Amino acid sequence: MNFLYPDMLILILAIGVLAVDLILPQDEESNAPFLMSWLGLASIAVILITQTPPPGDYMVGFGTYTINGISTIMKLLFTLACLFSILLSKSYFTAGGNLRGKMNRHSEFMALMIFCTFGMYTVASAGDMISLFVGIELSTIPLYILSSFYKDDRSSTEAAIKYIVMGSVSTAIGLFGFSFIYGAVGYVGFEDITNFVVNNPRDPFIWIGFILILSSLGFKLGLAPFHMWAPDVYQGAPTPVTTFLSVGSKSVAVTALMLLIYGPLSAIHQETNTLLIVLACLSMVIGNLGAMRQKELRRFMAYSSIAQAGYILVGFLGKGEFAQSSIIFYLFVFMFTNVCTFFIFSIIGQKRTESFSSLRGLSKEKPMLAALLMMCMFSLAGIPPFAGFTGKFILFASAAKEGYYWMVLVGALNSTVSLYYYLLIIKEAYINKPDENQPPLHLNTLQKINLSILGTGVVLIGLIPIFYNRVSELVNLS
Amino acid sequence: MSDVYSYSWLILVAPFIAFLVNSLWLGKKNWKAAAGLSTFAMAGSAVYSIKIAFDFFTQLPAQKHIIAWQYNWLEFNDTLTAKIGCLLDPISVMMLVVITVIATMVNIYSIGYMKDDPSAGRFFGTLSLFCFSMLGLVVATNLIQIYVFWELVGVSSYLLIGFWYTKPSAVAASKKAFIVTRFADAFFLLGIIITGYVLKTFDFIDINSLQAADSMNHIVSVGFLTVNVLTVSTILIFIGGWGKSAMFPLHIWLPDAMEGPTPVSSIIHSATMVVAGIFLTARLFTIFSFSFVTLDIIAAVGCFTALFAAVIACTQSDIKRILAFSTLSQLGYMMFSLGVTHDISGDEGINILGFQASMFHVFTHAFFKCMLFLMAGAVIHAVHTNDIWKMGGLRKKMPFTYWSTLAACLAIGGIPPLSGFWSKDEILLASFLSGHNIIGSIGLIVGGLTAFYMFRLFFVTFHGELKESGQHAHEDKWMTTPIVLLAIPTIGIGWIAKSYFLGSFTPLGHIAQIESPHHLTWLPIVASIMGVSGLIIAWVLYGKGNYKTATALSEKFGKSYTVIKNKFYIDEIYLHITHKIIFDKVAAPIKWFDSNIVDGFMNFVGWVLHLFGKLVRFSQNGQIQLYIGTMFLGFFLIYFIYKVAA
Repeated sequence: MNFLYPDMLILILAIGVLAVDLILPQDEESNAPFLMSWLGLASIAVILITQTPPPGDYMVGFGTYTINGISTIMKLLFTLACLFSILLSKSYFTAGGNLRGKMNRHSEFMALMIFCTFGMYTVASAGDMISLFVGIELSTIPLYILSSFYKDDRSSTEAAIKYIVMGSVSTAIGLFGFSFIYGAVGYVGFEDITNFVVNNPRDPFIWIGFILILSSLGFKLGLAPFHMWAPDVYQGAPTPVTTFLSVGSKSVAVTALMLLIYGPLSAIHQETNTLLIVLACLSMVIGNLGAMRQKELRRFMAYSSIAQAGYILVGFLGKGEFAQSSIIFYLFVFMFTNVCTFFIFSIIGQKRTESFSSLRGLSKEKPMLAALLMMCMFSLAGIPPFAGFTGKFILFASAAKEGYYWMVLVGALNSTVSLYYYLLIIKEAYINKPDENQPPLHLNTLQKINLSILGTGVVLIGLIPIFYNRVSELVNLS
Repeated sequence: MSDVYSYSWLILVAPFIAFLVNSLWLGKKNWKAAAGLSTFAMAGSAVYSIKIAFDFFTQLPAQKHIIAWQYNWLEFNDTLTAKIGCLLDPISVMMLVVITVIATMVNIYSIGYMKDDPSAGRFFGTLSLFCFSMLGLVVATNLIQIYVFWELVGVSSYLLIGFWYTKPSAVAASKKAFIVTRFADAFFLLGIIITGYVLKTFDFIDINSLQAADSMNHIVSVGFLTVNVLTVSTILIFIGGWGKSAMFPLHIWLPDAMEGPTPVSSIIHSATMVVAGIFLTARLFTIFSFSFVTLDIIAAVGCFTALFAAVIACTQSDIKRILAFSTLSQLGYMMFSLGVTHDISGDEGINILGFQASMFHVFTHAFFKCMLFLMAGAVIHAVHTNDIWKMGGLRKKMPFTYWSTLAACLAIGGIPPLSGFWSKDEILLASFLSGHNIIGSIGLIVGGLTAFYMFRLFFVTFHGELKESGQHAHEDKWMTTPIVLLAIPTIGIGWIAKSYFLGSFTPLGHIAQIESPHHLTWLPIVASIMGVSGLIIAWVLYGKGNYKTATALSEKFGKSYTVIKNKFYIDEIYLHITHKIIFDKVAAPIKWFDSNIVDGFMNFVGWVLHLFGKLVRFSQNGQIQLYIGTMFLGFFLIYFIYKVAA
């Protein structure tokens, strides 16, 4: 039972944060929701770190909700993503915290973030298609609202509208896919589907269903050609939401895909690889090409994330525990690096537009910040000794183990192309002359602490083997 | 295993911490604190090393080697693993003591020498890095580790030689040192790869064995060449040592490296780094000894370098260059001593006396040569010139330095009973006993030359009349202390240490060796006569402060004197080869190919990528109809692929 504590606590926390807003006097400057959210999330993260579930699956509710090693580690990832996004959002609720204006109703904002995280928990623990679908929806719908949190900002509203329309279409496609599988198997539980697929690997309904689900998850994962929403939404949404979108939402889709491919569909894994390869190649190429000439930082990160999704998909070509731990480990690496990058962008965004030209001369103005940015960019590009290198290395190794050497080559070539635009950012920060007219940057203590935690993560996760070993230990448990 | 050994990593960690702290933080703030930290770290390592040496030699382990600690660093596959560890055997323990003691002295000395330099903090940081690398090199348990630290030594020496990076000559010298040694290291790496490939191990203990030699000792054809793997790989590895120990013709970097601060010359280019090549050869001695070809090459290269450098040293006028060439010559001794272990007097076999003698000479040479460099630095600091003809009469001004230098010159000249005599005598003995009479005779002649050029330097610098530049010369206490301290081992270490070297120094692994008498009565007498006559000739020519005879003599030799003074024009030959042939005939066409064909192709690829990038951006037009349409298109695409694949 105590393995369910995190799931219960996060639900209670979300409701609590809303309740605090109701009980306390209407005070926009109150710190209570913020404190409560991050302290609550941090303690849930601590519980998840210390918890080691017993080997095998721990089922609740007739197998609809499962606790195992993978779900535990994924919940930790979601919690951390939510925690850092909320810490990042703090300055957006204070006057002068961002150039685009001040956001209001922070308890609602945080409660939505936490509800969204609960949805992600549900995906990680899903034991059948219903809870999987509900989880995906629960983790998406709050994001529609969150994207529009700049209520007076036209681009924010536009982003939300685009997101909700396209999201609905994608949900429809996915649900259609689920119904095909249900139609073929007659049950929704993963175990029943597994048995069915083992006996009928060529069943057309299973395949149509899978392709539809893949399209739907491809939307959430930001895979090309389902990626079109990403640049517009990443750019329009408030930066904390973009952060959460890029790490949390993407990880949910990866989790769902992992649940299906290494679970019910493992019997046809070899055949699905053809489809995954096409999507991976398309995403890497389109993401990298799109990122090349961008001038707006969040839009740039959207394309970068599309390419990263392609790299993650390469990991799916591998088999068994090794592939799963490589993917999960990469998600952690990606989370630390991306959140750290967005943190830096949010600091830039306090007084300036979040664009390339605002980075000019950063190394002169804030040398530590520039160094951190450089680390993050190198990590994203996969340059040793940063975490991104180790992550990508293990990810590609998982594909190489199954003999997909040419995919590794494609991945490596794309990494080379990506280095071009990551270096452009470093060039702005280090080589280009500072712009005298730019307002000076300022870091508060909260930001400094967060940046040092994230920066340490970017360096150490790849260097110290305990992180990867822990991931692989938990994956082997389930 | 006793704790003393298992905590031996402290020896490496202390200078490494000093390097990190000084380079990253303390060096810029307070150079005095940085100097103190480096010195204390080194002194601590020195005390620990001496303790280890004491324990090791009093209770010599049966195997004569201990792996104090070791862990896997890179696991390539199940059979091939690169490890980091600490191998203690007589030669590595000896090197630990030498490096740490010398480094401590040099650190103390540098406090005085660098006190006016604005970037002294950086100096101490880099010096600690160098010491760390050198210590890691000597305790290496395998080829990969020794190669890693070998390159670290190269990098740190590059940084130290080019320490005054605003001076073009220093920059050129540091580049030269790095490139020449790197050139040799490329062969070294090739040797490591071949050895690892054939033997499936990098560990010295496994490589230094009969089995390893047997499995390598076969012929393969590479293209039109048929070669013996053992011979080729040992020669390749030896080339690494060839460059690092500056043997002819790769010696050109060492004299130029004198552009660095003098303490650097003292530690790097006399006592430690250049000995790395000798050390490498000694470390792999057992496997080398199975290939007589390699041993003969080692002997020939060493012997030639000894003579060649000694001849040049007789004509130079820059005090540090004289010492540099003297170092080359002494390194030649150590090298050929390892080579003459190939006994050709009777039955072909291995006589390890040469090995012991070589290590003994490494040991004694380190102290007196380090001290000579420190002396040179002190003198340069006092008179602000490197030219010995502008010095003179410093005897009165610098008495402590004078007497210490006298001891060192006597030692290097091989005058009994100072330390250099004992080790050099053993080297010559090894050469004659193993039947290498020519090499032994050259060794004797070089001994005479050594005494001559060292006393030439000594008399010109300290005797004669006081020149103008020396009027304000004085002795700095930080700089004089190490000089005087180093005089103690210079005088006394030879006859104390001899029994240890001849008793307990054996190469790693087992060698079937042949026994021979450890004695030749006439040899010490002849060697001493050679040394003393060199001294007397120097006194006659330079002792009185009147150089007429010397000038007349050099004019008489005319052309050949000029050739020698210009170091046989080796540098010019290199310049010609690199500039006229390699740069113009090879590099220029390649550059054209690179900048037109390769770059052109790359630019084309970049242009195509940007074109497609434009397409991607163009399709992102903000219209949601298009976005949703693309999604459906994507679905049909996957479905189509599924259909085709199935």
